[in-house]
Amino acid sequence: MNRALYAAASGMAAQQLNLETIAQNLANADVAGFKGSAMSFEDIAAGAQPLGVQSVGTHTLWKQGKLARSDGAFDLALDGPGFFRVTDDRGRHAFTRNGSFARGADGMLRTTQGCRLDGVRVPADALSVTVSEDGVVAATTAKGTRTCGHIRVAFFHAPERLRAEGGTLFYATSASGLPASAAQTKIKFGMLEQSNVSIIEAMMQIMSAQRAYEANAKGVQAADEMMRIADNLQRG
Amino acid sequence: MDGIGWAAAAMDGARTRLETAAVNLANASSDGFKGVRLRGRVVPDGLRFARLRDAAQGALRPTGRDLDVALAGRGSFAVRDEHAKAVASRGGALQRDRHGRLCDAAGRVVLGMAGALRVPEGARLEPDGRVTLNGAPIDRLRLTPGTTVRSGFLEAANVDAIGEMVDLLGAQRSFESAEKTLAAIDQTRERTVTQTALVRA
Repeated sequence: MNRALYAAASGMAAQQLNLETIAQNLANADVAGFKGSAMSFEDIAAGAQPLGVQSVGTHTLWKQGKLARSDGAFDLALDGPGFFRVTDDRGRHAFTRNGSFARGADGMLRTTQGCRLDGVRVPADALSVTVSEDGVVAATTAKGTRTCGHIRVAFFHAPERLRAEGGTLFYATSASGLPASAAQTKIKFGMLEQSNVSIIEAMMQIMSAQRAYEANAKGVQAADEMMRIADNLQRG
Repeated sequence: MDGIGWAAAAMDGARTRLETAAVNLANASSDGFKGVRLRGRVVPDGLRFARLRDAAQGALRPTGRDLDVALAGRGSFAVRDEHAKAVASRGGALQRDRHGRLCDAAGRVVLGMAGALRVPEGARLEPDGRVTLNGAPIDRLRLTPGTTVRSGFLEAANVDAIGEMVDLLGAQRSFESAEKTLAAIDQTRERTVTQTALVRA
């Protein structure tokens, strides 16, 4: 009975973790450049006999999100694999697909979290800025048009091994290796990549996780009931 | 073995059934999990159970992720474990490592025809196990004949949640009825003992 109790309890714990992951996906369904993640489970095995279930971690789903036209002056989207390379407030390199940038007073383009886009400085007297598909940034001033930066798309062979921080920001790790350049990825100016989370799919996942949680709770109840009966074997 | 012994064996058997149903239910979301089936038989001193794995194909769940790989059929493909030995795998959420090699979730390298299998960005995994880049084959999975690969799918656990819930309930009731039987035998014995004592007095 104790083994049944632990197996059912491990199932409840696993479904709870699963629900947290789905909830996180749902909460970010409107964040530009957000990538949903999925949790994987595996049986806890003692020899050939499974004893319960455990989580073997989450992995990010890198599927391309839809590109939507946007009206921000510095909105960029990536069409293809790869990341924008940014520098965070502590000077570390970070990688993001959230291309909703804003121009700071120093001419740098910053993400909503305050990370600086590498390779671009917009001159103070720029009237308008355009970005070509291969990342060349051109600023139009009263004196004419000139190039003011080049955005390079960073590409990882093992993006699953990047460390996620705060939704859309990722950091390189020893397992992910160093970024290479992604030549075939196009930069779309005046567009944003929408989150790749499907709300309908997330709702379905929540429903099935909830039912699975309840089924495991019933398992705990059944094990408890059996223990109660066993305890009452000795009358008087 | 007497009645109490048999009733106890029945309770023990019901407990084993409950454990198995609980483990199967707990793994209903584990991709690639194969359910445990019990085969019970009566032996002179009680019940013996053999635990078998249900080899039935699990449902193929579409994920839309190219490196999610499910196998249709009974076979497997080869991965290299930590002792550099080729072992069988049935797929799962595969990923690329930093050298561009294909690995499984536990980090074991997937084997091609000549060492580690490389799947560059944009390459496709064909149902027959070939890896093609722009239509040209570049490598091949070491796949058991008669098995096909489905890229973009995961094999769901082959656990039938309804069947397991019914089993859970059945185990609980059979535990209860065994307990009632045990209690009845116990009562009969108690009466025998006390009434015999009354006659003597």
